[in-house]
Formats: sequence, C-alpha cells, structure tokens
Amino acid sequence: DSTGKGLLDFRSHVDASCRYSEEFTNIYYDCMDKKRRTLTRLYLDKATLVWNGNAVSGQAALGEFFESLPSSEFSVQTLDCQPVHELATQGQTTLLVVTAGQVKFDGHKQRYFNQNFLLTAQASPTSDQPVWKIASDCFRFQDWSS
Amino acid sequence: MTSFRKWYPNLAVVAHVQVGQDEGVVVQREVTSKGKLPGEHGDRVRGPHFRGGRKVQCSFQGREYDDPARRQRPRGSPGPEHLVHFEDNIVDVSVNNIRSQDGSWQRRFDPYSWANQRGDWRFDRERRGAGDYAGGGRTKDSWYKMTIPYGKKYNKKWLLTALQNKCSVPFKPVHYQTEGHKAQFYLEDAFTAHALVRASRQITDSEGYKVLVLMNPCPPPSILNTELKPQDTAWLKQCMAKRFDSSQRTLDLNQLRSDPDLVSQNVCPILSRKIFMDAVVKIIEENIPELVHLNLSNNKLYQLDSLADLITSAPHLKALNLSHNQLKTEKVLDRLKGLKLVDLWLEHNPLCDQFKDQPSYISAVRERFPQLVKLDGYDLPLPIVFDVVATSTIPPCKGSYFGSEEIMFLILHFLQQYFSVYDSGDRQPLLNAYHDGATFSLSQPSSQSLSRCLLREYHKDSRNLKHLKDPSTRFRLLKHTRLNVVALLNKLPKTQHDIASFNIDVNTHTSMLLSFTVSGVFKEVEGAFQDGVRAFSRVFIAVPAGNSGLCIVNDQLFVRIATMEEICSAFATPAPTPSSSLVPALSTPKQEMLSTFSLKSGMNLEWSQKCLQDNNWDFNIAAQIFTQLKAEGKIPDVAFIKCLKNACC
Repeated sequence: DSTGKGLLDFRSHVDASCRYSEEFTNIYYDCMDKKRRTLTRLYLDKATLVWNGNAVSGQAALGEFFESLPSSEFSVQTLDCQPVHELATQGQTTLLVVTAGQVKFDGHKQRYFNQNFLLTAQASPTSDQPVWKIASDCFRFQDWSS
Repeated sequence: MTSFRKWYPNLAVVAHVQVGQDEGVVVQREVTSKGKLPGEHGDRVRGPHFRGGRKVQCSFQGREYDDPARRQRPRGSPGPEHLVHFEDNIVDVSVNNIRSQDGSWQRRFDPYSWANQRGDWRFDRERRGAGDYAGGGRTKDSWYKMTIPYGKKYNKKWLLTALQNKCSVPFKPVHYQTEGHKAQFYLEDAFTAHALVRASRQITDSEGYKVLVLMNPCPPPSILNTELKPQDTAWLKQCMAKRFDSSQRTLDLNQLRSDPDLVSQNVCPILSRKIFMDAVVKIIEENIPELVHLNLSNNKLYQLDSLADLITSAPHLKALNLSHNQLKTEKVLDRLKGLKLVDLWLEHNPLCDQFKDQPSYISAVRERFPQLVKLDGYDLPLPIVFDVVATSTIPPCKGSYFGSEEIMFLILHFLQQYFSVYDSGDRQPLLNAYHDGATFSLSQPSSQSLSRCLLREYHKDSRNLKHLKDPSTRFRLLKHTRLNVVALLNKLPKTQHDIASFNIDVNTHTSMLLSFTVSGVFKEVEGAFQDGVRAFSRVFIAVPAGNSGLCIVNDQLFVRIATMEEICSAFATPAPTPSSSLVPALSTPKQEMLSTFSLKSGMNLEWSQKCLQDNNWDFNIAAQIFTQLKAEGKIPDVAFIKCLKNACC
C-alpha cells in the first residue's frame, strides 16, 4: 500500500526516477546511434520489443533485429517518466519511460516517433549496485501508416 | 609585397586589379625581367607553362601578425594560403588569400582612400568600370566586405557581440555567412567599416588566438540583387533555347559572353558571376531538366558553386565540358560531387597543372566522379567496383499487436468503457478505472509554435523532462492518487475519440501487469478549437481487477496535432456499435435476448452482454443477479452509460 510509505518517500522516488530516465535516454539513444551492436546488453534476457507492430522477443532475436535496422540518428524531444506502481511489479522497482522525437534511418526519410520502455532494476552479477534493464520496449512512428 | 622586390631586383611588376565576381579584389601581377612592361592585352599574358607543379612558399617576413595558422605550422611548410604559383615569368597571387594586418593591404587598392602609396605599382584604373559589369548599375565599390579569418569556428552571436563591443560605431552585418574557414559579412558604410576594422586583434578568443578583421571594398553584395531583370532573363532563355539541341539533349554555352544575340541586346552574360550562372541553372531546371550534355567552356569560370544545383535539377546530366576556364584547384569539383558524370572536359584550366602526372590527375577527378569513363576526350579504364550489400531496410510497419486474442478482447472491452466515459463530458466516473495509488502525467511535442498554440489547454500540465528541470515542478506535474488523476482529467478539454482509428501495442503481459500503448485520434468538441483533430499516444499500465476487468496504475498521455493524413482518415467511417465491433457476432436469438435485457436493466449493450454471458445466457438468472447486484450498489455507473455515437445502444 503506497500511502503507507509516506509522501517524502514517494517524492524522492519520483526525483530519482526523473534522473534515471534522463540518464537512460542518453545512454540508450547514443548506443542505438553509435554502438548498435552493444544495444542488446541494455535489455533483459526475456525482454520484448514491439516495433511498429513487429514483436521481437529474447536476446538473440533482439540482436538480429537491431542489426537489421539501418544506421540511425535519433533526436529525443520529449521525455516523461513515472515510477510503476509496485502492485504491478510485485515489489520489483520499475520505471516507465516515455519518449518522443524524430529519427532518421539511413536511406529513409526523417520520421516522428513515440517510444516507451519499462525499466526494471536487477541485481548485477558483477557489482553491488543494481542495474537497470529494459523489460519491454514499444516503438512506433507517429505516421506509421504512411 | 616588398619582399618580391628584395628577391627580384630586376623585375618590374604591373598590377592588374580586377573586381572578380561580386565581391573582393583579385590582383594579377605580371612580372617581367629587365623592367619591361608587357603591352596591354585583353587578357593576361600566359607564357609557357611551368609544369611539374612546384610550389614555393612566400614568406611575408615584414608582416608580423597573430595568425593561428602560422602558430600551428612550422615555418617553411607550405599552407594553402601562402602558395604562390610560378608560371615561368608570371606570378599570380590572389589577394583574398593573403591575410594581412588590419586589412591595410586591401585598403591599398581602394582608389578612394589611397593616393600616394603606389611605389613601384602601376594601378591600372582602366581595368575597372565598364567592361565587366552587366545589368543594374553596380559599377562602384561602395560596400565593404568584412572577413574574419577562421571565423567559421566562432558562434555567430558571440562574434558579432564581441566585435560590436570593440567597435565604436554600431554596425549591422549584411548577409553573414561562412566560406571555408572564414566568416564574412557586408557593410554599406565606409565609416562603419573602417571603425570595425580597428577592432581587429582587439578580441581574443577562447583558445587564445586574436580575432582578425579584414576589410575589402566591393560592389553591393549580390544578395541584394539576386535576380536578373526579367527582360535579361528572357533574352538569356531565348539564347539558351537556340543553343539547345533537343535531339541530343545538349546545351552549348561555350563562350556565351560573345553570343551575338545577347550582345545585340546588351546582355552580358558573364557566367563566372553567380547571378548569371544561377539564372542559367534555373532556366535549365524549369525548361530542360532532361539535359544530358552541357558545355560551359570558355566562360572564365573560376568556381562552380551555382552549378551544384544541377545535381538535383538536371539528374540526367552525364557529360560536362568545363574546359578553357579558370578553375584553379581540384577542390572546385567537390561542389559537383553527386553528379553522375560519365564524360568530363577539364583541360585548359589552371587546376590541370597542379598534378604531377596524368594518373594523379585522373585519380583526383575520379574521386569526385567515380563513374567517369571519358576525361578530356580520352577513354579511361573502367573502374572496378565493390559489390556492397545495399543498406538494410526498415521492416514493414504493421497494425495493432495484442499477443493473444484473450488479451485483445480484454483490452478492447476496457477501452470501449474507458473512452465512453472519457468522451461523455463528465470524467468523474473514471475514478472506478484507477487504482488508489495511480499516477498520471501528460506531455506534448516541444517548441513547435503551432502545436503550442493549438494545444495550449494542455500546455500548463505538460511534463517534458527535457525542458523541465525544477524538481518541485516535475513532482507537481505528476498526478498521484486517483482523485488527483481524475481531477486533472476532468480539466482537460472535452473530446470525442475515434475508436476505429485506435492502434494498440501490448508490450508486457504478466500475471500481475498488463502494459499497452494506444495510439489514435480524437476531436475537440468544444471551445476555441472545436472540431480540431488531435493525435495521441497513451501508455496504460494496469493490474487485473475483479470481474475480468482492468485497474489502471500508471497512465501517460502524449498529445500532438494530427497530420493531414490522420485528419482525412479520422472519423471517416461511422463508429461501429460496440457489440458488433468487439465481440464475435451473436446468433439472432441471443441478439434479441440482449436488446431486451439492455432495455429492461437500463445497462448498455456491453454490460448487458457481459451479464448474460456470465450467466450462460439464461435470461432469468441474469436478471436476478442483476437486480441483486444493483440493490447492493455493486454495478458501476459505467454500465449505464450509453455510447454517444450510436443511438441504438
């Protein structure tokens, strides 16, 4: 029951979420544009991606998918985020990150896009600090039917 | 230039000053031995070529100035600005390439301010005026071109502010642009220009270099006079038509200047001038875009900037003749990169002499035009290409993705109810759709003035972390608890959603969490923007709720203006009745039972069907259950809301 945590806790949770979402977006889109091969590292093993209606699931498929996309130039213009209610996540800290902006894929015209992620904090095998991983990713061009 | 004197005491030098193109001064100096002066020629004297491409650096020892380039390069190594090309007994130096202290060098050639410093130079005044000017009376160098070497790296605002701070007179730069490493702009007034030049070396940039300001008298910049007079354009067009062979798609503009038709009409098409070349390119674009061969030889061209437009306006251009012109370095060809030339003539241009040998010449040209097979009339060996795999394509875009039919029904059912209430005019009943601890926020595209205006009702609640940095505001704009969420929703403009347009992507589905993104369009139904169509993308995160429903815990809404296509296809078909669109078709007896039940209970078809289904289509039992639940107050108001779009609900 979230009200039991107290408003102060919620407030600092929101503040932290904002900072994490900013950091995440910088890392994600930089990776997408410049280090595409390493992008799948940001995803959970069983993460799902719905990309303009195409569903892709699991590291292997994700890797193949990102490899098949032309090189990109993303420009994120809008960013919003919300901590996800723990009821939905059964206690696992999760963040909803919502972005919008423009992207130019090599060989295609520039397009507007909407994207949202569910980030979840996971214990890291290599360090004490938990690590954010993308549990799900939903991407769509704003004018996808044209 | 006294250093020349030092090296060559027996030489006499004659300076021809020409005003090249639209701005700047080009000085051509003829150097002959034994003090003899060459006779007057219509053109420069060209002695035998000194092939071998030797380049000699000219060291301006007498001129100490803070030159960033000098600092970086050790003395003795040639930089492009210091190249002096020797062609036997002719020295050709372009003044614009020499940077000097305070622009005083250039000032020498301003006939109005320099009277006594001639020294050994003969200033051929007859070179100025008449001959090279055409069209609207631009015969005086009444403007000044201000150049900031290496100014391209500076932020324009910073540079102009810094200069203004050091300049005693307010100045208004005209046509600020960068060219190569330089920044330049024009000033009309002599007094201002001179005042600004005094700011040279008064400013130090962030890297520690002094900012230089150079001044050059020039005719009014072509930006002010960007087009030919209509009658000149008409004559030019007519002339070009005559010179165009439509069967071969060839346009021959060789030596256009001396075309008798144009001369007789007093049009002097100097193609080396931007204004003329631009006009020619425009005429080609508008009249003969199918052009395949173009001959521009003998037109004194020294740059190809205007021709760059041919890349798009004459996509079939395959053969180009630029021979017998004044193209000085191979770099001018970069402007035409993109033209799929197969046949090129470049001979009799100074650039040809810059190559050590034939292969390097061919190689440099081919670098710009990889498909070239003929150069200067000679067949080139065919280039060998790589069979590179074409760039990947984007996978085709598809519609909604639900993952399973069960989820699809669940979500569609939910959205039907949700938006019925949302569009009803009172969103208060939505309290039932949200969890106690739900959160909601909205955002819209940033910084587009049109969307700012049309979406102003959303603006003050819009939460864009890219622009919003204050933690308190960030917190305030995230609505927490369902009371606050619905309070905000109620304040947002009234809408009518086009459910038929909805596209739904389900990205996560676990036992406890269902996350899906809805995108579609809606109309504003009242207020200043009534009937305005908006598009949205909304993320819902929900947990399961009793009686196979959903309860929202997170809701994020992104609103933008709809595109033309979206507006045209929106609300195109009448909204289908809820029962027919979402739920598999019912048999006729069931349909009759349904309408009766709906009539008697007062619930909409949706909920009536649900009640019947849950009770196995046993009318009596369903009716009993309904009455009981109603008495216990367990039936949400939503059940009684009839769909606004369809009267038969």
